[in-house]
Amino acid sequence: MRRATAELIVKDPGKFAHHDRVFLNNPVVMQGMGLAPLVVLATSGQNAVMLAAAVALLLVPSRVLACLLSRLVPLYDEDPAPETLQKKLLPRALVYGFSTAVVYLAVYPILNMLFGTSLLSLGIYLPMLTVEPLLTYRFGRVQETVRKAVSKGLRITVGYALLLVLLGCIREWLAAGTVFGMAVSRPVLPMAGMPAGGFIVLGVLCAVWRALAAKRRAYLTKEAGNLVDVHSQKEADREG
Amino acid sequence: MKDVVTTSAVFFNYALLAVFAQNAVFTRALGVSRLVQLVGDDRTSSWLFGMQLCITQILVTPFAWYAGSRIAPLANRAQLRPLVYFASIAVVCLLEHAVLWMAKGLPHRSALLRIVPLAGLNSCVLGTVLVERTQSFTLGQSFGFGLGSGLGYVLAVLLVTEARHRLRSKAIPEAFRGLPITLVYVGVLALAIYGFTGHSVIL
Repeated sequence: MRRATAELIVKDPGKFAHHDRVFLNNPVVMQGMGLAPLVVLATSGQNAVMLAAAVALLLVPSRVLACLLSRLVPLYDEDPAPETLQKKLLPRALVYGFSTAVVYLAVYPILNMLFGTSLLSLGIYLPMLTVEPLLTYRFGRVQETVRKAVSKGLRITVGYALLLVLLGCIREWLAAGTVFGMAVSRPVLPMAGMPAGGFIVLGVLCAVWRALAAKRRAYLTKEAGNLVDVHSQKEADREG
Repeated sequence: MKDVVTTSAVFFNYALLAVFAQNAVFTRALGVSRLVQLVGDDRTSSWLFGMQLCITQILVTPFAWYAGSRIAPLANRAQLRPLVYFASIAVVCLLEHAVLWMAKGLPHRSALLRIVPLAGLNSCVLGTVLVERTQSFTLGQSFGFGLGSGLGYVLAVLLVTEARHRLRSKAIPEAFRGLPITLVYVGVLALAIYGFTGHSVIL
Protein backbone atom coordinates (compact mmCIF):
# COMPACT_ATOMS: atom_id res chain seq x y z
CA MET A 1 0.00 0.00 0.00
CA ARG A 2 1.34 3.47 -0.89
CA ARG A 3 1.80 6.05 1.85
CA ALA A 4 -0.59 8.53 0.22
CA THR A 5 -3.31 5.86 0.06
CA ALA A 6 -2.67 4.88 3.69
CA GLU A 7 -2.95 8.51 4.81
CA LEU A 8 -6.19 8.91 2.85
CA ILE A 9 -7.66 5.78 4.50
CA VAL A 10 -6.63 6.95 7.99
CA LYS A 11 -7.96 10.47 7.36
CA ASP A 12 -11.34 9.46 5.93
CA PRO A 13 -12.05 5.70 5.59
CA GLY A 14 -15.61 6.42 4.40
CA LYS A 15 -14.41 8.57 1.49
CA PHE A 16 -11.87 5.94 0.42
CA ALA A 17 -14.53 3.20 0.42
CA HIS A 18 -16.96 5.48 -1.42
CA HIS A 19 -14.59 5.74 -4.41
CA ASP A 20 -14.33 1.96 -4.80
CA ARG A 21 -17.37 1.14 -6.94
CA VAL A 22 -16.24 -2.41 -7.62
CA PHE A 23 -16.01 -4.03 -4.19
CA LEU A 24 -16.33 -1.75 -1.13
CA ASN A 25 -19.14 0.42 -2.56
CA ASN A 26 -20.59 -1.77 -5.31
CA PRO A 27 -23.66 0.01 -6.78
CA VAL A 28 -25.86 -3.08 -6.47
CA VAL A 29 -24.75 -4.39 -3.10
CA MET A 30 -24.57 -1.07 -1.26
CA GLN A 31 -27.16 1.08 -3.06
CA GLY A 32 -29.56 -1.43 -4.63
CA MET A 33 -29.23 -0.12 -8.20
CA GLY A 34 -30.00 -2.09 -11.37
CA LEU A 35 -31.89 -4.85 -9.55
CA ALA A 36 -34.59 -5.70 -12.13
CA PRO A 37 -32.30 -7.22 -14.81
CA LEU A 38 -30.30 -9.01 -12.10
CA VAL A 39 -33.36 -10.62 -10.53
CA VAL A 40 -35.19 -11.67 -13.70
CA LEU A 41 -32.55 -12.11 -16.39
CA ALA A 42 -29.27 -13.01 -14.72
CA THR A 43 -30.24 -16.68 -14.77
CA SER A 44 -27.29 -17.85 -16.85
CA GLY A 45 -23.74 -16.82 -17.61
CA GLN A 46 -24.62 -16.02 -21.22
CA ASN A 47 -27.52 -13.69 -20.28
CA ALA A 48 -25.27 -12.00 -17.74
CA VAL A 49 -22.55 -11.38 -20.35
CA MET A 50 -25.10 -9.88 -22.79
CA LEU A 51 -26.48 -7.59 -20.08
CA ALA A 52 -22.98 -6.61 -18.97
CA ALA A 53 -22.09 -5.72 -22.58
CA ALA A 54 -25.26 -3.61 -22.87
CA VAL A 55 -24.47 -1.74 -19.64
CA ALA A 56 -20.83 -1.27 -20.69
CA LEU A 57 -21.88 0.28 -23.99
CA LEU A 58 -24.68 2.41 -22.52
CA LEU A 59 -23.45 3.71 -19.19
CA VAL A 60 -20.40 5.89 -19.87
CA PRO A 61 -21.57 7.55 -23.13
CA SER A 62 -25.05 8.30 -21.75
CA ARG A 63 -23.61 9.63 -18.50
CA VAL A 64 -21.21 11.93 -20.37
CA LEU A 65 -23.96 13.17 -22.71
CA ALA A 66 -26.32 13.79 -19.78
CA CYS A 67 -23.54 15.49 -17.82
CA LEU A 68 -22.96 17.94 -20.70
CA LEU A 69 -26.66 18.64 -21.30
CA SER A 70 -27.56 18.91 -17.62
CA ARG A 71 -25.23 21.92 -17.32
CA LEU A 72 -28.25 23.88 -18.60
CA VAL A 73 -30.05 23.06 -15.32
CA PRO A 74 -27.24 22.41 -12.84
CA LEU A 75 -27.66 21.40 -9.20
CA TYR A 76 -24.90 22.90 -7.05
CA ASP A 77 -25.88 21.79 -3.52
CA GLU A 78 -25.77 18.26 -2.14
CA ASP A 79 -29.01 19.03 -0.31
CA PRO A 80 -30.81 21.62 -2.47
CA ALA A 81 -33.72 23.77 -1.30
CA PRO A 82 -37.24 22.44 -2.09
CA GLU A 83 -37.85 25.37 -4.51
CA THR A 84 -34.71 24.49 -6.49
CA LEU A 85 -35.74 20.84 -6.65
CA GLN A 86 -39.24 21.77 -7.85
CA LYS A 87 -37.74 23.74 -10.73
CA LYS A 88 -34.77 21.58 -11.71
CA LEU A 89 -35.53 17.96 -10.87
CA LEU A 90 -37.92 17.24 -13.76
CA PRO A 91 -35.80 18.90 -16.49
CA ARG A 92 -32.75 17.04 -15.21
CA ALA A 93 -34.66 13.72 -15.11
CA LEU A 94 -35.78 14.25 -18.72
CA VAL A 95 -32.22 15.12 -19.81
CA TYR A 96 -30.88 11.90 -18.24
CA GLY A 97 -33.73 9.74 -19.63
CA PHE A 98 -33.47 11.13 -23.17
CA SER A 99 -29.66 10.93 -23.17
CA THR A 100 -29.78 7.21 -22.36
CA ALA A 101 -32.54 6.59 -24.94
CA VAL A 102 -30.52 8.43 -27.63
CA VAL A 103 -27.36 6.46 -26.82
CA TYR A 104 -29.48 3.27 -26.99
CA LEU A 105 -30.18 4.09 -30.67
CA ALA A 106 -26.48 3.61 -31.39
CA VAL A 107 -25.93 0.75 -28.93
CA TYR A 108 -28.75 -1.55 -30.12
CA PRO A 109 -27.25 -2.27 -33.60
CA ILE A 110 -23.89 -3.05 -31.98
CA LEU A 111 -25.50 -5.50 -29.55
CA ASN A 112 -27.52 -6.99 -32.40
CA MET A 113 -24.32 -7.51 -34.39
CA LEU A 114 -22.57 -9.10 -31.37
CA PHE A 115 -25.31 -11.40 -30.11
CA GLY A 116 -27.85 -11.76 -32.98
CA THR A 117 -31.11 -13.45 -32.09
CA SER A 118 -29.87 -14.34 -28.57
CA LEU A 119 -30.55 -10.70 -27.75
CA LEU A 120 -34.29 -11.47 -27.90
CA SER A 121 -33.94 -13.47 -24.68
CA LEU A 122 -33.37 -10.18 -22.81
CA GLY A 123 -36.94 -9.13 -23.75
CA ILE A 124 -38.19 -5.89 -22.21
CA TYR A 125 -35.21 -5.67 -19.84
CA LEU A 126 -32.83 -4.39 -22.53
CA PRO A 127 -34.85 -1.24 -23.43
CA MET A 128 -35.75 -0.88 -19.75
CA LEU A 129 -32.08 -0.31 -18.91
CA THR A 130 -32.58 3.25 -20.18
CA VAL A 131 -34.52 4.21 -17.03
CA GLU A 132 -32.61 2.08 -14.52
CA PRO A 133 -31.37 4.19 -11.58
CA LEU A 134 -27.91 2.73 -12.27
CA LEU A 135 -27.77 4.88 -15.41
CA THR A 136 -29.93 7.83 -14.39
CA TYR A 137 -29.48 8.32 -10.62
CA ARG A 138 -27.29 11.42 -11.11
CA PHE A 139 -30.29 13.56 -12.08
CA GLY A 140 -31.06 14.21 -8.42
CA ARG A 141 -27.43 14.72 -7.39
CA VAL A 142 -24.98 17.59 -7.60
CA GLN A 143 -23.60 18.50 -11.06
CA GLU A 144 -20.49 16.43 -11.95
CA THR A 145 -17.63 17.14 -14.35
CA VAL A 146 -17.11 15.15 -17.56
CA ARG A 147 -13.92 13.63 -16.14
CA LYS A 148 -15.77 12.39 -13.07
CA ALA A 149 -18.63 11.11 -15.24
CA VAL A 150 -16.17 8.98 -17.26
CA SER A 151 -14.19 7.73 -14.28
CA LYS A 152 -17.22 6.92 -12.09
CA GLY A 153 -19.08 5.47 -15.09
CA LEU A 154 -16.23 3.07 -15.83
CA ARG A 155 -15.91 1.96 -12.21
CA ILE A 156 -19.68 1.44 -11.87
CA THR A 157 -19.70 -0.55 -15.13
CA VAL A 158 -16.96 -2.87 -13.83
CA GLY A 159 -18.69 -3.30 -10.46
CA TYR A 160 -22.09 -4.03 -12.02
CA ALA A 161 -20.69 -6.37 -14.68
CA LEU A 162 -18.76 -8.31 -12.07
CA LEU A 163 -21.85 -8.86 -9.94
CA LEU A 164 -23.98 -9.69 -13.00
CA VAL A 165 -21.63 -12.43 -14.20
CA LEU A 166 -21.15 -13.79 -10.68
CA LEU A 167 -24.90 -13.94 -10.01
CA GLY A 168 -25.61 -15.34 -13.51
CA CYS A 169 -23.12 -18.19 -12.98
CA ILE A 170 -24.34 -18.96 -9.43
CA ARG A 171 -27.99 -19.06 -10.52
CA GLU A 172 -27.22 -21.15 -13.60
CA TRP A 173 -25.34 -23.63 -11.43
CA LEU A 174 -28.10 -23.74 -8.79
CA ALA A 175 -30.98 -23.98 -11.27
CA ALA A 176 -29.49 -26.13 -14.05
CA GLY A 177 -26.25 -27.54 -12.66
CA THR A 178 -24.22 -25.87 -15.44
CA VAL A 179 -21.91 -22.86 -15.80
CA PHE A 180 -21.85 -21.24 -19.27
CA GLY A 181 -23.61 -24.37 -20.53
CA MET A 182 -21.00 -26.81 -19.19
CA ALA A 183 -22.30 -29.46 -16.78
CA VAL A 184 -20.89 -29.03 -13.26
CA SER A 185 -23.30 -30.92 -11.01
CA ARG A 186 -26.94 -31.88 -10.81
CA PRO A 187 -29.42 -28.97 -10.35
CA VAL A 188 -29.25 -27.92 -6.70
CA LEU A 189 -32.09 -25.39 -6.42
CA PRO A 190 -34.34 -25.14 -9.51
CA MET A 191 -36.19 -22.18 -7.91
CA ALA A 192 -33.05 -20.06 -8.44
CA GLY A 193 -34.03 -19.69 -12.09
CA MET A 194 -37.27 -17.86 -11.20
CA PRO A 195 -37.56 -14.18 -10.14
CA ALA A 196 -38.43 -15.22 -6.55
CA GLY A 197 -35.27 -17.30 -6.43
CA GLY A 198 -33.42 -14.37 -7.98
CA PHE A 199 -34.49 -12.09 -5.12
CA ILE A 200 -33.42 -14.63 -2.50
CA VAL A 201 -30.08 -15.61 -4.09
CA LEU A 202 -29.24 -11.92 -4.71
CA GLY A 203 -30.17 -11.08 -1.09
CA VAL A 204 -27.86 -13.80 0.25
CA LEU A 205 -25.08 -12.79 -2.16
CA CYS A 206 -25.42 -9.14 -1.06
CA ALA A 207 -25.17 -10.17 2.61
CA VAL A 208 -22.01 -12.24 1.98
CA TRP A 209 -20.53 -9.43 -0.15
CA ARG A 210 -21.29 -6.84 2.56
CA ALA A 211 -19.72 -8.99 5.28
CA LEU A 212 -16.56 -9.46 3.17
CA ALA A 213 -16.47 -5.73 2.32
CA ALA A 214 -16.75 -4.82 6.03
CA LYS A 215 -13.86 -7.22 6.83
CA ARG A 216 -11.73 -5.81 3.99
CA ARG A 217 -12.46 -2.26 5.15
CA ALA A 218 -11.44 -3.06 8.73
CA TYR A 219 -8.26 -4.76 7.46
CA LEU A 220 -7.35 -1.80 5.21
CA THR A 221 -7.97 0.71 8.02
CA LYS A 222 -5.76 -1.30 10.40
CA GLU A 223 -2.98 -1.75 7.81
CA ALA A 224 -3.10 1.92 6.83
CA GLY A 225 -2.92 2.96 10.51
CA ASN A 226 0.16 0.72 11.04
CA LEU A 227 1.84 2.04 7.90
CA VAL A 228 1.27 5.69 8.85
CA ASP A 229 2.63 4.95 12.36
CA VAL A 230 5.78 3.31 10.91
CA HIS A 231 6.40 6.26 8.59
CA SER A 232 5.88 8.75 11.43
CA GLN A 233 8.30 6.75 13.62
CA LYS A 234 10.92 6.69 10.82
CA GLU A 235 10.61 10.46 10.33
CA ALA A 236 10.92 11.05 14.07
CA ASP A 237 14.06 8.81 14.20
CA ARG A 238 15.62 10.70 11.26
CA GLU A 239 14.99 14.04 12.91
CA GLY A 240 16.35 12.73 16.22
CA MET B 1 -74.99 -1.92 -23.49
CA LYS B 2 -73.37 -5.30 -24.16
CA ASP B 3 -70.24 -3.54 -25.49
CA VAL B 4 -69.97 -1.43 -22.32
CA VAL B 5 -70.24 -4.53 -20.11
CA THR B 6 -67.70 -6.44 -22.22
CA THR B 7 -65.23 -3.51 -22.21
CA SER B 8 -65.62 -3.07 -18.43
CA ALA B 9 -65.13 -6.81 -17.87
CA VAL B 10 -61.95 -6.79 -20.00
CA PHE B 11 -60.68 -3.70 -18.13
CA PHE B 12 -61.20 -5.26 -14.68
CA ASN B 13 -59.87 -8.67 -15.75
CA TYR B 14 -56.62 -7.14 -16.98
CA ALA B 15 -56.37 -4.92 -13.90
CA LEU B 16 -56.74 -7.98 -11.64
CA LEU B 17 -54.25 -9.91 -13.76
CA ALA B 18 -51.69 -7.12 -13.33
CA VAL B 19 -52.26 -6.76 -9.56
CA PHE B 20 -51.90 -10.43 -8.66
CA ALA B 21 -50.93 -12.94 -11.38
CA GLN B 22 -48.49 -10.61 -13.14
CA ASN B 23 -47.59 -8.26 -10.31
CA ALA B 24 -44.99 -5.75 -11.51
CA VAL B 25 -42.66 -6.29 -8.56
CA PHE B 26 -43.14 -9.94 -7.59
CA THR B 27 -43.16 -11.51 -11.07
CA ARG B 28 -41.10 -9.06 -13.15
CA ALA B 29 -39.11 -7.07 -10.55
CA LEU B 30 -40.20 -3.84 -12.29
CA GLY B 31 -39.27 -0.71 -10.33
CA VAL B 32 -37.67 -2.76 -7.57
CA SER B 33 -34.56 -0.54 -7.36
CA ARG B 34 -36.78 2.47 -6.59
CA LEU B 35 -38.83 0.35 -4.17
CA VAL B 36 -35.83 -0.59 -2.01
CA GLN B 37 -34.67 3.05 -2.03
CA LEU B 38 -38.15 4.14 -0.99
CA VAL B 39 -38.04 1.81 2.02
CA GLY B 40 -35.02 3.65 3.41
CA ASP B 41 -36.18 7.13 2.37
CA ASP B 42 -38.06 8.84 5.20
CA ARG B 43 -38.59 12.04 3.15
CA THR B 44 -40.79 10.35 0.52
CA SER B 45 -44.24 9.07 1.47
CA SER B 46 -44.95 5.60 0.06
CA TRP B 47 -48.63 6.50 -0.36
CA LEU B 48 -47.91 9.66 -2.34
CA PHE B 49 -45.32 7.88 -4.47
CA GLY B 50 -47.70 4.99 -5.18
CA MET B 51 -50.57 7.33 -6.05
CA GLN B 52 -48.38 9.40 -8.36
CA LEU B 53 -47.07 6.25 -10.03
CA CYS B 54 -50.62 4.98 -10.63
CA ILE B 55 -51.67 8.31 -12.17
CA THR B 56 -48.57 8.41 -14.41
CA GLN B 57 -49.10 4.80 -15.42
CA ILE B 58 -52.70 5.39 -16.51
CA LEU B 59 -51.99 8.69 -18.28
CA VAL B 60 -49.03 7.22 -20.19
CA THR B 61 -51.15 4.35 -21.57
CA PRO B 62 -52.92 6.18 -24.45
CA PHE B 63 -49.81 8.10 -25.52
CA ALA B 64 -47.65 4.97 -25.47
CA TRP B 65 -50.32 2.86 -27.19
CA TYR B 66 -50.61 5.38 -30.02
CA ALA B 67 -46.82 5.85 -30.30
CA GLY B 68 -46.29 2.07 -30.21
CA SER B 69 -48.78 1.50 -33.02
CA ARG B 70 -47.06 4.21 -35.13
CA ILE B 71 -43.61 2.59 -34.88
CA ALA B 72 -44.89 -1.02 -35.13
CA PRO B 73 -44.51 -1.21 -38.97
CA LEU B 74 -40.94 0.17 -38.90
CA ALA B 75 -37.99 -2.20 -39.35
CA ASN B 76 -35.96 -0.52 -36.59
CA ARG B 77 -38.79 -0.43 -34.02
CA ALA B 78 -36.79 -2.33 -31.39
CA GLN B 79 -34.14 0.38 -31.54
CA LEU B 80 -36.69 3.19 -31.29
CA ARG B 81 -38.80 1.80 -28.44
CA PRO B 82 -37.06 3.42 -25.44
CA LEU B 83 -36.93 6.85 -27.12
CA VAL B 84 -40.57 6.79 -28.25
CA TYR B 85 -41.96 5.45 -24.97
CA PHE B 86 -39.79 7.73 -22.88
CA ALA B 87 -41.09 10.66 -24.95
CA SER B 88 -44.65 9.55 -23.99
CA ILE B 89 -43.64 9.44 -20.32
CA ALA B 90 -42.00 12.87 -20.65
CA VAL B 91 -45.20 14.39 -22.07
CA VAL B 92 -47.20 12.99 -19.14
CA CYS B 93 -44.65 14.17 -16.56
CA LEU B 94 -44.67 17.68 -18.04
CA LEU B 95 -48.50 17.72 -17.95
CA GLU B 96 -48.55 16.57 -14.32
CA HIS B 97 -45.88 19.12 -13.41
CA ALA B 98 -47.85 21.93 -15.09
CA VAL B 99 -51.07 20.96 -13.27
CA LEU B 100 -49.30 20.76 -9.89
CA TRP B 101 -47.51 24.05 -10.56
CA MET B 102 -50.85 25.79 -11.13
CA ALA B 103 -52.70 24.12 -8.23
CA LYS B 104 -51.14 26.33 -5.55
CA GLY B 105 -53.43 25.25 -2.69
CA LEU B 106 -53.12 21.48 -3.25
CA PRO B 107 -52.10 19.50 -0.13
CA HIS B 108 -48.62 17.88 -0.41
CA ARG B 109 -48.00 19.92 -3.58
CA SER B 110 -44.30 20.41 -2.85
CA ALA B 111 -43.75 16.68 -2.19
CA LEU B 112 -45.70 15.73 -5.31
CA LEU B 113 -43.64 18.08 -7.48
CA ARG B 114 -40.53 16.28 -6.24
CA ILE B 115 -42.11 12.84 -6.77
CA VAL B 116 -43.27 13.42 -10.40
CA PRO B 117 -39.82 12.79 -11.97
CA LEU B 118 -39.11 9.88 -9.57
CA ALA B 119 -42.36 8.18 -10.55
CA GLY B 120 -41.90 8.92 -14.26
CA LEU B 121 -38.29 7.76 -14.54
CA ASN B 122 -39.20 4.36 -13.13
CA SER B 123 -38.79 0.98 -14.75
CA CYS B 124 -42.31 0.02 -13.58
CA VAL B 125 -43.85 2.62 -15.92
CA LEU B 126 -41.65 1.88 -18.95
CA GLY B 127 -41.71 -1.87 -18.26
CA THR B 128 -45.52 -2.00 -18.13
CA VAL B 129 -45.79 -0.09 -21.41
CA LEU B 130 -43.30 -2.50 -23.01
CA VAL B 131 -45.23 -5.54 -21.72
CA GLU B 132 -48.48 -4.09 -23.15
CA ARG B 133 -46.81 -3.75 -26.57
CA THR B 134 -45.06 -7.15 -26.60
CA GLN B 135 -48.34 -8.87 -25.65
CA SER B 136 -50.25 -6.83 -28.30
CA PHE B 137 -52.88 -5.52 -25.87
CA THR B 138 -55.77 -3.40 -27.16
CA LEU B 139 -56.24 0.10 -25.75
CA GLY B 140 -58.87 -1.14 -23.24
CA GLN B 141 -56.67 -4.02 -22.12
CA SER B 142 -53.71 -1.63 -21.84
CA PHE B 143 -55.70 0.74 -19.60
CA GLY B 144 -56.72 -2.13 -17.32
CA PHE B 145 -53.20 -3.57 -17.23
CA GLY B 146 -51.70 -0.10 -16.61
CA LEU B 147 -54.02 0.57 -13.67
CA GLY B 148 -53.47 -2.92 -12.25
CA SER B 149 -49.72 -2.62 -12.63
CA GLY B 150 -49.72 0.69 -10.72
CA LEU B 151 -51.94 -0.79 -7.98
CA GLY B 152 -49.76 -3.91 -7.84
CA TYR B 153 -46.71 -1.72 -7.35
CA VAL B 154 -48.48 0.19 -4.56
CA LEU B 155 -49.39 -3.14 -2.93
CA ALA B 156 -45.74 -4.23 -3.06
CA VAL B 157 -44.50 -0.88 -1.71
CA LEU B 158 -46.96 -1.03 1.19
CA LEU B 159 -46.11 -4.67 2.00
CA VAL B 160 -42.41 -3.83 2.12
CA THR B 161 -42.70 -0.52 4.00
CA GLU B 162 -45.06 -2.21 6.50
CA ALA B 163 -42.31 -4.71 7.31
CA ARG B 164 -39.61 -2.00 7.45
CA HIS B 165 -39.35 -1.94 11.25
CA ARG B 166 -39.14 -5.72 11.52
CA LEU B 167 -36.52 -5.84 8.77
CA ARG B 168 -34.36 -3.51 10.87
CA SER B 169 -34.57 -5.79 13.92
CA LYS B 170 -31.39 -6.48 15.86
CA ALA B 171 -32.25 -10.20 15.68
CA ILE B 172 -31.27 -10.16 12.00
CA PRO B 173 -27.53 -10.79 11.41
CA GLU B 174 -25.77 -7.49 10.71
CA ALA B 175 -24.70 -8.38 7.15
CA PHE B 176 -28.33 -9.12 6.22
CA ARG B 177 -29.79 -5.88 7.63
CA GLY B 178 -31.12 -3.36 5.10
CA LEU B 179 -31.04 -4.29 1.41
CA PRO B 180 -30.20 -8.05 1.66
CA ILE B 181 -33.05 -8.92 4.01
CA THR B 182 -35.45 -6.71 2.02
CA LEU B 183 -34.58 -8.69 -1.12
CA VAL B 184 -35.04 -12.03 0.68
CA TYR B 185 -38.40 -10.77 2.06
CA VAL B 186 -39.60 -9.71 -1.42
CA GLY B 187 -38.48 -13.12 -2.72
CA VAL B 188 -40.52 -14.94 -0.07
CA LEU B 189 -43.57 -12.76 -0.86
CA ALA B 190 -43.09 -13.53 -4.57
CA LEU B 191 -43.04 -17.26 -3.75
CA ALA B 192 -46.28 -16.88 -1.79
CA ILE B 193 -47.90 -15.24 -4.82
CA TYR B 194 -46.68 -18.05 -7.11
CA GLY B 195 -48.47 -20.40 -4.70
CA PHE B 196 -51.79 -18.85 -5.73
CA THR B 197 -51.20 -18.09 -9.39
CA GLY B 198 -48.33 -20.26 -10.61
CA HIS B 199 -45.45 -18.68 -12.42
CA SER B 200 -44.76 -18.02 -16.07
CA VAL B 201 -43.30 -14.66 -16.96
CA ILE B 202 -43.55 -13.43 -20.54
CA LEU B 203 -40.60 -11.20 -21.34
